[in-house]
Amino acid sequence: MAQQEEELIRTDPRGSPPRRKRPAALPIWGESSAVMALYHSGVLADIAITLGILGFFYGLTQVSQEWAGILRPTVVIDLSLGSLPRYTFFSLIRGLAAYGVSLGFTIVYGYWAAKDKLAEKLLVPILDILQSIPVLGFMPGLVLALVSLFPSSNVGLELASILMIFTGQAWNMTFSFYNSLKSVPQYLQEAGTVYHFSWWQRLTQIEMPYSAVGLIWNSMMSMAGGWFFLMVTETFQLGNRDFRLPGIGSYMSVAVERGDTKAMIGAVVAMILMIVALDQLLWRPIVVWAQKFRIEDTTQEEVMESWFLDLLRHSHILRWLGTIGASIRRSLHRSPVQSSQVPAAAVTSTSSSDSPARTANRPVAGILVSRLGFVLLAAGLAVALVQVVRLLASVSAAEWVRLVQSDLLTLARVTAAILLGTLWTVPLGIRIGLSPRLSRIMQPVVQVAASFPAPMLFPAVILILTSLNIAIGVGSIILMLLGTQWYILFNVIAGAQAIPSDLKEAAANYHFTPRQRFWSLYIPAVFPYLVTGWVTAAGGAWNASIVAETVTFRGSTLTARGIGAVISQAAFNARFGELSGAILIMALTVVLINRFVWRPLYALASTRYNLSK
Amino acid sequence: MADTITEQQPVLLASDHVTHLFPMPNGNMMTVLEDITMDIRKGEIICIIGPSGCGKSTFLRILAGLIRPTKGKVLSRGSEMSGLTPGVAMVFQMFALFPWMTVSENIQSVLVSQHLPEGEVQRRVNSVIKMVGLEGFEEAYPREISGGMKQRVGIARALAVQPELLFMDEPFSAIDALTAESLRADVVDIWEEAEGQPASILMVSHDIKEVVYMADRIVIFSANPGRIRAVVPNNLPRPRDYRGADFLAMVDYLHDIITTNELPDVPPAVVSTPSQPVYEPLPPASSSDVVSFVEYLDSHGGQGDVFVLAHEFGKEFSELINIVKAAEMLGFIETPKQRTILTPLGRRFANMDTEEQKIVWKQQILTLNVFKTLYADVQASRNGIMLDDEVQERLAQLLPNENPEFTFQTLINWARFGNLLAFDEDSDEVTLQ
Repeated sequence: MAQQEEELIRTDPRGSPPRRKRPAALPIWGESSAVMALYHSGVLADIAITLGILGFFYGLTQVSQEWAGILRPTVVIDLSLGSLPRYTFFSLIRGLAAYGVSLGFTIVYGYWAAKDKLAEKLLVPILDILQSIPVLGFMPGLVLALVSLFPSSNVGLELASILMIFTGQAWNMTFSFYNSLKSVPQYLQEAGTVYHFSWWQRLTQIEMPYSAVGLIWNSMMSMAGGWFFLMVTETFQLGNRDFRLPGIGSYMSVAVERGDTKAMIGAVVAMILMIVALDQLLWRPIVVWAQKFRIEDTTQEEVMESWFLDLLRHSHILRWLGTIGASIRRSLHRSPVQSSQVPAAAVTSTSSSDSPARTANRPVAGILVSRLGFVLLAAGLAVALVQVVRLLASVSAAEWVRLVQSDLLTLARVTAAILLGTLWTVPLGIRIGLSPRLSRIMQPVVQVAASFPAPMLFPAVILILTSLNIAIGVGSIILMLLGTQWYILFNVIAGAQAIPSDLKEAAANYHFTPRQRFWSLYIPAVFPYLVTGWVTAAGGAWNASIVAETVTFRGSTLTARGIGAVISQAAFNARFGELSGAILIMALTVVLINRFVWRPLYALASTRYNLSK
Repeated sequence: MADTITEQQPVLLASDHVTHLFPMPNGNMMTVLEDITMDIRKGEIICIIGPSGCGKSTFLRILAGLIRPTKGKVLSRGSEMSGLTPGVAMVFQMFALFPWMTVSENIQSVLVSQHLPEGEVQRRVNSVIKMVGLEGFEEAYPREISGGMKQRVGIARALAVQPELLFMDEPFSAIDALTAESLRADVVDIWEEAEGQPASILMVSHDIKEVVYMADRIVIFSANPGRIRAVVPNNLPRPRDYRGADFLAMVDYLHDIITTNELPDVPPAVVSTPSQPVYEPLPPASSSDVVSFVEYLDSHGGQGDVFVLAHEFGKEFSELINIVKAAEMLGFIETPKQRTILTPLGRRFANMDTEEQKIVWKQQILTLNVFKTLYADVQASRNGIMLDDEVQERLAQLLPNENPEFTFQTLINWARFGNLLAFDEDSDEVTLQ
């Protein structure tokens, strides 16, 4: 009790200040001053950057060799620890390539939907549907199709992998970008109009900076979600066909097959290192850099720092590149002004660099492109819709019944998984969130655990399950839980951190018993966060069911009765009618649960349990 | 109750040489409270008043047992205690109501630990709701009621546990002035009729009029570090009239004490020599506020009363004090007692254009040892660049009792205005202009 009271000590009124970065280089510090001098002179940074670039290019040559390599009937994996870096790099490249595709898609799709009111009516519902459909269901079909397109080389498989990862990354990034574009403050847009911003200038100087913070955070989350799909494609086997690609996932899968514990541990460590490295060397510096785009709130959140960004800032190479970039930009800006020499006659009517005629032409061209795209999209959708309806009509009534039964079974599994997950994550999450010290230590750990792709561990877990004679019907719950419980945990931690201190003080002051504290304060306070965690976890569980309800183990297939298994089998056996029916049923279930379970819970959270009054 | 000579009443709660230190990011310890000794007797209302940052809220929590002081003791009826002080109920500035409970559920929640029989719980809830005038609102949720009503619930909740001591942490500062006035009167009424529950009230406030209205004893704190400056007895008979002559005289008296403390006429007897320079803390006022203030004085007769000015600007008194201190440090005004008067330099300054003002500003800030030293440091450093962390380290050395981050912000603000130093937030570099 006393310790809890200790922790109620008021912190500095401005919130937690930034961590100390490094000691000051005062002259009395002799030796360390020499190291600091080296650091500040930028030599260290330049060396690091040069080595990094060289290493990256070497890695790229390896990747291109692999892509151009011959398609083999089964994946060839060298289980020595020395080849782990190569496999890690392959996986990394796939993830980054998919992210690049996602980012491009996000910007184009989001911009189109935000700017064109007509297209928006079609684009946003499509995005909604895409988010609800378990796209993993299309994976077997996609893989088969692409492999038949490129029968002799690995390109088909790689493309399939990248596309699948893309589907795991793109949707929430696009939504975030779209929402940011729509919520740019009126006054910023007006300033742009008054000062005659072109559409490009508006995009790069108003809209993208405004969306930057949201886009970056969503990118981080998407990248993490993408690992899941990467692992699924890398470990993809169906029956006796082996579609595995060389990478960490397949390395792990082969290691489990051969019972090589050292290799398994190595793979897990490599994955963790890759996640941490990506976070420290890519995401954190970008997030810190993007802090200059934040719109000031009254509440200042913790200022983030990145040692890597500081290192880069000292580098001479980058500074030199920066000046080149700046001079290029300057010369670009000069030409439009020169080319739009306003003819003498028009001088009296306008003083801006863009004459009225030009600004009038720009939107017209844009609208034309947009309308064309809309027509094509609508046409494509209509065709697809007709096909799908025809397929659905081919499903018999008995089959529909079977599909619904399987769906209900999977629903039971998802619910069980969420319940099990909640049972252990809520008490632990609250304990961690209430203690600033524990939070600081545990949050990065939980983030890595949440990014860690569960499918990578599937081979090992399945091994354990079969040796314990646990049927896949129950075992699949564990598999689903593995990936998704972390979402609940870190939302609960965030919720516990956000409990206002005066409520905690009141509970202490009025002698609340621990039980009362838990049920009357902690649980209600984290409820909104818990709901978010549940929604994310449930979504992940449904997706995971496709690869959890039917698994390949030592050449044989273990299948549970459930809609995920149906989807998987139907896709593999090219029974497209059944596949469409199953996907439709699963999507419908998700939508219904959204409407009748999550939405009311959210409403409750935003009224009765809302802490911001 | 108000007529009782409280000196003869028993001491309910006392603090004995309480000192509280708080660790700062650079590792130094900041003294939030220094050597606070005071007592609360039975049957009185005590108010603690002081500028923001003087630790009065922290002190309240130490007395309530929510925080353990670094040094010193808290004595409950003469015996030392650790942990929650018995018989204390607290009312919070931001109400601290549980948003998912109705008004009566909020009150019931604090009775759980009292282990009362069922009928008694209901009786108490009804009785306190009636006491604060919230009948009819039992089933309402906090989001449905106004700020003033929320605080009534907070007070009702505190009264429900029948405390001996009622602690209030700036209870009316988040409520509009009109409602606050009526609430104050209600609290005094409740206390007078309360028959010992609560026996005494300890309230923290920053509003002088509120304190004169409510308190039997007024404890004045000063900041950096938080210390008791004065304890003023207030024997005005109740009910008190905000416009009564004796009320206003008491307000004036308090104004006097506060300005004497915050803006001393005779500066502390420490002599600054080149070998042992004294470093003055920088009051957290922005350069634009100081310039505006000096110009305002110039266009309004060249002088003014500090409290009247605070009222005119609508600024909280302690905020204005910082601007006044800053202007005084830079030689633009003088502050005898409660008045501020422009110096000849100040008068000239107010009538210059911005270019000239910056030149004079620069010259004036360089008369302060903090700026002299830091400027020399930046000049002497490698490439004439210092990092913000290095500057803050230096400030922590020169001004150990101040928060180096806040001092840094003020330093940079003043230095930028005077074209003395430049600061790039992206690269964290402080350079010469």
